[in-house]
Amino acid sequence: MKPETKTTSFDLAFYDRMAAVLNAWKHLGEIPLDKIPPHGMMEEITRLLYLESRLIDQRRLREWLDLFAADGAYWIPADVDYRDPRRTIAWEFNDRRRLEERVERLETGQAYSQIPPTRTVHLLSNIEGMLADDGLLHVLCNFHIPAQRGQDHQARSGWCGYIFRKENKHWKIVLKRVNLFDADQPQSNLSFTL
Amino acid sequence: MTTYSDHLPSLDHQPYQHLFKPGFVHRRLYIDEDIFQQELLYLYGRTWLYIAHESEIANPNDFITRRVGGRPLIISRHATGSIHAFFNRCTHRGAIVCREPRGNTKGFICGYHAWTFNITGECTSVPLRQGYGKSFNLAQASLQPVARLESYRGFIFASYSKDVPSLTEHLGAAARLIDQWLDRGEKEPVVVQNGAMPFLVNANWKTIYDNAGDGYHPPFSHESMLKVFSNRYGDVDMNYYGSDFDKSPMYSKNLGNGHTFLDQRPEMHKLSAWKRQHVMPGYEVMENALIEKYGEAHALPMLDASTGSGMNLNIFPNLLIIGNQIQMPEPLAANKTLLTWFATSREGVPEEINAIRMRMQEDFPSFGEVDDSANFEACQEGMASIPEMAWIDIRRHQDTKVGALDPADQLWREPMSSDLHMRTYWQRWQELMNAGATRALVEAGVA
Repeated sequence: MKPETKTTSFDLAFYDRMAAVLNAWKHLGEIPLDKIPPHGMMEEITRLLYLESRLIDQRRLREWLDLFAADGAYWIPADVDYRDPRRTIAWEFNDRRRLEERVERLETGQAYSQIPPTRTVHLLSNIEGMLADDGLLHVLCNFHIPAQRGQDHQARSGWCGYIFRKENKHWKIVLKRVNLFDADQPQSNLSFTL
Repeated sequence: MTTYSDHLPSLDHQPYQHLFKPGFVHRRLYIDEDIFQQELLYLYGRTWLYIAHESEIANPNDFITRRVGGRPLIISRHATGSIHAFFNRCTHRGAIVCREPRGNTKGFICGYHAWTFNITGECTSVPLRQGYGKSFNLAQASLQPVARLESYRGFIFASYSKDVPSLTEHLGAAARLIDQWLDRGEKEPVVVQNGAMPFLVNANWKTIYDNAGDGYHPPFSHESMLKVFSNRYGDVDMNYYGSDFDKSPMYSKNLGNGHTFLDQRPEMHKLSAWKRQHVMPGYEVMENALIEKYGEAHALPMLDASTGSGMNLNIFPNLLIIGNQIQMPEPLAANKTLLTWFATSREGVPEEINAIRMRMQEDFPSFGEVDDSANFEACQEGMASIPEMAWIDIRRHQDTKVGALDPADQLWREPMSSDLHMRTYWQRWQELMNAGATRALVEAGVA
């Protein structure tokens, strides 16, 4: 028996929305003046991004999950060409349910790719916001994540595209798209959280 | 029927014999850089290799570049539809000619001195040609094609040596299983245009190859994944590894020529593959949408055909067909391998089906392959660092005498957890490596 799902997304309409978002991000130049969020809003979001970094770096993944909306998605493409996800595989493209499964897996104590766990330091910069329809807020930022596991030291870099929605006075992540700058190139252990 | 042994010199040179004993192989086979270099020559240089799928170069003048068995290749399609494969190395000074991963072009121009080649690799011009004198022959400056090139139902194979049997003979019993993998559902064509996950693994290519036919490890290496799925969804796919799965109808089979097969279909596709498939993003909404559009009687067979194939078909040495994916292990060094998982879709199915196929093909790589890779790297570290412990154990079900010929096809099969796969391909490995080493002696005039 499969339990009733809380996740309603990932139908064809969802993919259409994703296509529109990708198109907007791909061609984004200067953010139009009337789309620039008020200063206070960007301050709130920046604090939230830093909180997210801290939770991931400390591997407090249950608290991290709480930052996502019930219909939130976490996406690490395996291409750098903004390809249509209906026909393109990603390193990860998780709805809320699969994101929870991912965290549960790491909690079993038998996820050998994370024994010992990868240590990370999330560094964020170039944080920009853009007001979107339906009260959504798009946020773009660059990241650099030094990572270490055993003898393996390397950094992951790229940019993140977020979509936030305000629910009961709290911003929730509707989408986190982690765009590794070398997403289409060979990747070693990616079982930690980006 | 010609066999590989027809192509061998009669000299019985066995330089690797001391690295094998019944049920064990020596660690040097996994860590020795000299043996690795010999593998590139004697093994990858002298057998059929999978190089690409025809759908990767679907249109006239399409090309891809890729390293296979260490050699950089250009694989292209001419306007007439013919497929070509040649070394991506300028005949002039040795430069890599094409430096793009894929594209569509009429030809290639070397960036160094602008020697120019058409889509089939023929040299079409050389700047200031008169400087080479009257004897210069443009045809002799063409990019060097692979020695043999054949396709089987969309899978393109090449050999860098002429002295191999036909591809059909090489594939042998594996061909029928490729058919079964392709001919699911309404037999819509399988397409390999859906991106790939290239995993860089710090382990020997054979450590990865070992695992491709290792039906013993799933409940242990993948315990974290199986726990999450069975806790959440009950008796879904791979839950059948929870008990003594050697008693299950799943099996491991020797297909000949080093090829092997693990068949999970008797469990995975029991009753309904789709109903036993654990969920992925879109599982319910896409199922509902398809039932609404096509009715349950039509939609369920479509969904059944969309799930993982339940097959692990291992075609030695570099084609691993697993679930709905095609894997190519590419040797980079004795302790480094690029394992690329190519995603597949099916042409002409409803787009809901391909969308759930994409999300499904993300499951195992991020929930299972990551742990496999960690174990491969742990094997490499242990093998490489402790000279006091030399041997790797491949004994499982060697002495239980439960193997038997399958009456259906007269192929040898053993229980799921057997090391039959390793014993099978290591035998092939020895045949190819001994023959290659012998030939090298003959060619050097030593023997």
